[in-house]
Amino acid sequence: MRIFERLRPAVVNGLRELQANKVRSLLSMSGIILGVASLVAMVTVVQGMVGNFRQFVDAMGGIEKITVDKQPLPKEQEHLAELSEGMTMRDVDQIRATIPLVQNISPEVRVGYEKLSIEGREFSTYVTGCTADYLPVAKRWIDPGEGRFVSDLDILHKSDVIILGSAVVTELFQPNEDPLGKVIKMRGRRFTVVGIMNNIEGSGMQVRSANSKSSGGMWRWRNSGAYIPVTTAMVKFTGNDRLSALGLRVASGDDLNNAVEQVERTLLTTHHGLKDFSINTNEQTLEDFRKTEAAFKLSLGGVAGISLFVGGIGIMNVMLASINERIREIGVRKAVGARGSDLFLQFLAEAAVISVLGGIIGIGVSMGVVALMNFILTQALPSGMVAKFDIIIMLQGLAFSVVIGLVAGVYPALRAAKLDPIEALRHE
Amino acid sequence: MPALIAIRGLRKIYQMGDENVHALAGVNLDFNKGEFVAILGPSGSGKSTLMHILGFMDTPTEGSIVFEGQEVAGLSADRRAWYRSNRVGFVFQSFNLLPRLTVLENVALPLLYREDSKPEANEAAAKIALERVGMSHRLDHRPSQLSGGERQRVAIARAIVGMPAIIFADEPTGNLDVKNVSRILELLASLIKEGITVVLVTHDLAVADHAHRIISMREGSVQEDRQR
Repeated sequence: MRIFERLRPAVVNGLRELQANKVRSLLSMSGIILGVASLVAMVTVVQGMVGNFRQFVDAMGGIEKITVDKQPLPKEQEHLAELSEGMTMRDVDQIRATIPLVQNISPEVRVGYEKLSIEGREFSTYVTGCTADYLPVAKRWIDPGEGRFVSDLDILHKSDVIILGSAVVTELFQPNEDPLGKVIKMRGRRFTVVGIMNNIEGSGMQVRSANSKSSGGMWRWRNSGAYIPVTTAMVKFTGNDRLSALGLRVASGDDLNNAVEQVERTLLTTHHGLKDFSINTNEQTLEDFRKTEAAFKLSLGGVAGISLFVGGIGIMNVMLASINERIREIGVRKAVGARGSDLFLQFLAEAAVISVLGGIIGIGVSMGVVALMNFILTQALPSGMVAKFDIIIMLQGLAFSVVIGLVAGVYPALRAAKLDPIEALRHE
Repeated sequence: MPALIAIRGLRKIYQMGDENVHALAGVNLDFNKGEFVAILGPSGSGKSTLMHILGFMDTPTEGSIVFEGQEVAGLSADRRAWYRSNRVGFVFQSFNLLPRLTVLENVALPLLYREDSKPEANEAAAKIALERVGMSHRLDHRPSQLSGGERQRVAIARAIVGMPAIIFADEPTGNLDVKNVSRILELLASLIKEGITVVLVTHDLAVADHAHRIISMREGSVQEDRQR
């Protein structure tokens, strides 16, 4: 059966009925409009937020990052405190030798806030001693053409070199000045600037990397900071061989739990059973985000689902009323040769036309809502756009409304199809 | 020549509570091609039931109907719909034009439900039918913009647009003024020249008088069948 050729007049007829009953049609559409608008707007905004969560976790080093921090001994080991050697490069070597799951290991010595000065300009920033592995573990990079990072030779020679965060550069140098090769003084020592960290841009929860040298927003802390070789930090600042922290990176998040277990076992061995360290991951943070996401989706999706359901009832109601008014028309159509299926199709198409139009209007409304929410968030947070329009989500919203319209239209259309033509023609 | 429609032993029994009502109590009739027949009778005589069954809107309880050589008494709803859109036309007392459609669309409506329906061809056929009833000048009007007589002419155009074998006119002049009554009846009478059988269903003797054959019914039976 050439369904399309039967469908076309049905759709045309549906549009015509819509036009003839503008107010009623709009009212019956309002449920679908609200439902689709809230569904699409909410999914878009939640998706935007989830995207920001992911970026945030990524900015913290991603799910594949494990951090080992110093920790005071637990109560039952307190009397052994003087035996604790803390973390040293031996731990690094041991982990590197025994745990293949760990791809990168970044020993860090936190020197603390130090005053950097050059040609009379001064700026205090947080100085960290690290190795080349800091970059992959912290997911931060040297901008192309902006020098290099700490190298293995720097570690070996305990070189006096320094890498500056982009925010530090703007404080210490003129915009047209090339910081590379310049010598900076710190605690009376002279450090040669060999590299500049990339700028982490964006504000609020948004992070993206850019070549721009600007700094500001809530990510300023990530753009300030300076880095020197870990051995230099030990010899020239802390005066001992203890590490402040270890940053580890595993190949994938699936290895995380195994790696954490193995790292703990290895460190307990090298530390002679002293639990003077704690192992932390970003998984908990991500898990919290996931829970928030699920809660949002469930509650907002529920609201949208209910309004779509109500929209469906609205359409069914209007279709039943419309059929009641047009019993005579149904009788006439049957008398001149319409089959039950022709009338079923006609009224189903009418319901579909209402729901499709409602869905399209709803998508338009949702775009307005998302734009408004973005505007409000930009004003409140100085953050960028939180949500992007997604054609897939919109099409899903539309598909949803069509399904609702069709389901709501089946019962009224069946009633129209089943009417007895003689009875229908007698109807006043 | 065999009859267009041959009815034998036709019965229609309704269940009304505990009682069986015999709307048709064994009717035998033949209708020929190009006849102008009036079925005359008071309300409750079974004339409407007979028209509905012959017009494929209803099925008999018992009996045989041979339509154009085919037994059609036990057809399915969809097959009956096919006959309504292809072989039968209806003209009603209250015109029954669809108010939202234009005159042209109303007339083309029966063709819409045919398997070979094509918008352009339907429109062309509707224009010819409207010309036949003298309503070519009102193609884009709505039924509400027409007088009663004009509406009935449009309804007749709708009945003949599909080149039916037979037209049933159910009190076609009941809502018309005197001047229009004769015009419509003349129009109906003129259709037989095209080989269409016209069946006039009425309780009005004066209207039935225009037909060439009058079948009088009473209590579900044919009382008199008279050629004039």
